[in-house]
Amino acid sequence: MIHVQHEAFDAGAEQRALLKGRRDIGAVVSFTGLVRDFNERPDVQGLTLEHYPGMTEKALADIVADAESRWPLQAVRIIHRVGRLAPGDPIVLVIVASAHRRDAFLACDFLMDYLKTRAPFWKKEQTASGDYWVAERDSDQQDASRWDTSLRETSHD
Amino acid sequence: MSLTHLDARGAAHMVDVADKPESRREASASGCIRMRPETLALLGEGGLPKGDVLATARIAGIQAAKRTHELIPLCHALPLSKVSVDFQLDSAAACVRVYATCRLNGRTGVEMEALTAVSVACLTLYDMCKAVDKDMQIGDIHLDTKSGGVSGDYSRADTHPSQPAPLVAPSAEVGRMSLSLASDEVPSVRVKCLAELRERLGTGELAVPFDELASADVAGLKAALKAQDKRFEQLDDRRLLCAVNQSMASDATPLTHDDEVAFFPPVTGG
Repeated sequence: MIHVQHEAFDAGAEQRALLKGRRDIGAVVSFTGLVRDFNERPDVQGLTLEHYPGMTEKALADIVADAESRWPLQAVRIIHRVGRLAPGDPIVLVIVASAHRRDAFLACDFLMDYLKTRAPFWKKEQTASGDYWVAERDSDQQDASRWDTSLRETSHD
Repeated sequence: MSLTHLDARGAAHMVDVADKPESRREASASGCIRMRPETLALLGEGGLPKGDVLATARIAGIQAAKRTHELIPLCHALPLSKVSVDFQLDSAAACVRVYATCRLNGRTGVEMEALTAVSVACLTLYDMCKAVDKDMQIGDIHLDTKSGGVSGDYSRADTHPSQPAPLVAPSAEVGRMSLSLASDEVPSVRVKCLAELRERLGTGELAVPFDELASADVAGLKAALKAQDKRFEQLDDRRLLCAVNQSMASDATPLTHDDEVAFFPPVTGG
């Protein structure tokens, strides 16, 4: 289940909804990303998240399908906010449920790595000294490329 | 320079304009109201519960310009000869841009009238749309140009040249009311520029006639855009990404009539 929305979300309520009535789930991992008050500049007052409506949902669905082909997952929920956000506000929520913890941990990590490098969102941060578009990070690309390697290794097994 | 609305003791007073010569005065102001893309789509389709939003906001702006002296304490009542209020729906930036121009032959400037028209048109847009969107944000209200009078002509573009002029190449129409306007008539490729790229180019959406493409692929589209405006040379930036019909693409990706091609910087979500 994928949502791109302006509204805030309640991670606890989302997780409860995902687990409701399920008795087959053995592990649930949840990640929440928040707006920091420091980034490329030290005094971030807020940010505006832009996305590419239509493509965003498609890109996220592709990433979820990719995760499901790598690990046996029982449920996935992604919420990503857009619009104006303030420091401390939640931006993104990824919840993954599986029978065993390792698959849930790995899939959640993978989903965030791919979301950060493949889903069409852009952040513009507001500071006292002006606004700027956040630059992509090489470390995010490196994080995402970890999953290429591990896939190659497992296929060699 | 001193403030004309303050007298020698610093008290507010109304400037006596009886001895100023009459001249033709004109002022243009603009502003914008940002809203959710869904709200903007409803507004464009006329699907909002209070009816014709833009027509109502236009009348509100014109009425407000005529009554500026009732709102701003030291403003003179002016017999305006013309007030116009126009709107531009910018779906790429998810906002409505509001433009107002006021004119008269008289002894005092009409910039307060133009600014008031923009402000009240924006407030009316908020009122007309608030049932579906309470997050709307009004902003960027400023004087664009002023002419006539002793203080001389003013143009914001002279003092703020950083804003890129909108791209209007001969055959690349800047998307205004609807993205499909241009592409319905001539077989075209719809182009979107997103995020920082949109700001650097000064345009978010345009349509390029299909027969202008150097070749029927993304590389051919880039060549056609660069031929129209040098600013599109930025599309050669190797970091820039491209999507065709909302799937990641490359220079070699083939294009057909009515494809949607988006160019954007590396993503930074999460």
